Amino acid sequence: MNEWIELLTPSLLETLYMVFVSVFFTILLGLPLGIILVITREDHILPNSWLNQILSYMINITRSIPFIILMIFIMPFTRLIVGTTIGTKAVIVPLILATTPFFARVVESSIKEIDWGVVEAAISMGATPIQIILKVLLPESMSSLVLGITITIINVLGYSAMAGAIGGGGLGYLAISYGYHRYQTNVMIATVILLIVLVQIIQSTGNKIAQIINKK
Amino acid sequence: MIHIKNLSKVYTKGRNEVVALKDINLEIKKGDIYGIIGLSGAGKSSLIRCINRLEEPTSGDVLVNKINLIHLKNKELRKARKKIGMIFQNFNLLHSKTVFENIAFPLKLVNTPEKIIKEKVNHLLELVELSDKAYVYPSQLSGGQKQRVGIARALANEPDVLLCDEATSALDPKTTKQILNLLKNINDRLNLTIVIITHEMEVIKEVCNRVAILEGGNIAEEGSTVDIFSKPQNPITKHFINQDENLPKSFIKGKVLHLSFTQGSATQPLISQITRDFDIDVNILSGKIEYIQNQAIGKLTIQMDVDCHRLLDIIKYFEKNYVKVEVIKQ
Ligand SMILES: Nc1ncnc2c1ncn2[C@@H]1O[C@H](COP(=O)(O)OP(=O)(O)O)[C@@H](O)[C@H]1O
Ligand SMILES: [Mg+2]
Repeated sequence: MNEWIELLTPSLLETLYMVFVSVFFTILLGLPLGIILVITREDHILPNSWLNQILSYMINITRSIPFIILMIFIMPFTRLIVGTTIGTKAVIVPLILATTPFFARVVESSIKEIDWGVVEAAISMGATPIQIILKVLLPESMSSLVLGITITIINVLGYSAMAGAIGGGGLGYLAISYGYHRYQTNVMIATVILLIVLVQIIQSTGNKIAQIINKK
Repeated sequence: MIHIKNLSKVYTKGRNEVVALKDINLEIKKGDIYGIIGLSGAGKSSLIRCINRLEEPTSGDVLVNKINLIHLKNKELRKARKKIGMIFQNFNLLHSKTVFENIAFPLKLVNTPEKIIKEKVNHLLELVELSDKAYVYPSQLSGGQKQRVGIARALANEPDVLLCDEATSALDPKTTKQILNLLKNINDRLNLTIVIITHEMEVIKEVCNRVAILEGGNIAEEGSTVDIFSKPQNPITKHFINQDENLPKSFIKGKVLHLSFTQGSATQPLISQITRDFDIDVNILSGKIEYIQNQAIGKLTIQMDVDCHRLLDIIKYFEKNYVKVEVIKQ
């Protein structure tokens, strides 16, 4: 039992680190991006169809590149930012790049769910666009955003395991290096079980938080 | 208080143009409860939304409290909007905020100190009789309670004007009455000018001192509610006050008159007087009493067989006694 813990713990911590840092930056970048995608629409508070279309195209392009290819494709950029192309740190860069557009779309659809009448009420009260974003759009979509973040975390977890294939570290790397290269299937099964448990915990925690926030 | 001049609104979607308002002129005085009634698609929402520029007018001017809103830039417009409260058919409350926070919302927008927010919101909660619901979320309220929160929120910045876009259309008749009473109460107490958009004549009858009838983007008729009710001119107005209802064609023979008795004339036995004085038989086809802003207006449709000269004399006789007469068939 102890040797299992010794084997799995470092990889688990690496995975958690990758996921945490990636999700942090994904939210930092994807949230504003998603907000801009909504408010620059023709019928919203700061219409700017030019900016809206450019962002939309960029997001679509990034999202259509398979993650593995994206990872290899941006290696020079990764080296530029973190100084290396292998290991947990190196995986974080493509993870952020792949997840941010996805999360931006999640944010966009969450905010679009808000009844336009509520926004109009704020406009009629003389709210500025910034006030509308901070005091109406975000609080009103918070429950839906939490569910979106939950899905994003689970996505990042999946991608991070995939990143193990090219030396990213974490549980994915452990599973591949033991289970595939050294034919120790039991290690692979253990990591898969661990991943399943992680996903369950993340999803149910996300659901619970969203439920608490939701006052509808 | 509100002065609308040559206001037009055209919606353009691609090649399609919808003319929603055509050259509207309207003056709403301070302290008025001004009703605007019309069928669906008449342009009511467009009109009220042009007043605070939720909808940009295509041309014309809108003056609120002598300020022409049309010329205002974003910042000044936002400032002007704070003095124009608005309530909506669907209430449009923030679901994520409590009743207290919803009412505090407009105050927070202008960085009001917490202490003053607390005072003001508690006062408003009392005004709309929702003090016990302060920390409840809107989803736990009934429609009438939601609209009362909407009203309190709209009043938080002490506006000069309150715009109501179909504010009671989602409510049952009893709740509608309560909300209208509240509006009237506020109008009395604060001398607040209120503009009410509706498609229900009941709403106008209950609270509005003046009314405009909107049809196809034009004002078909405008005047004091009592006048409009006792002597409607336009077919659409008659439609709204149900005047020509339930009179089967076969009954309309001879001369048919429609009479409106206002307070001055309702006390005299005028019908029996004319049967005697003119020596004619009068047949009563229908009759009812309408209550408009607590004022009773008697409505009577009568039929008689007389020639045109006598008819004119009879009409004069009625009008001398303050009965408004409309000839339905001569
Ligand atoms: N945003 C819009 N775009 C295009 N046409 C509109 C829009 N809003 C209203 N209209 C049209 O303008 C006319 C008046 O609508 P509206 O002011 O909503 O009337 P009401 O409130 O009396 O029902 C209608 O023909 C409606 O279809
Ligand atoms: Mg309407």
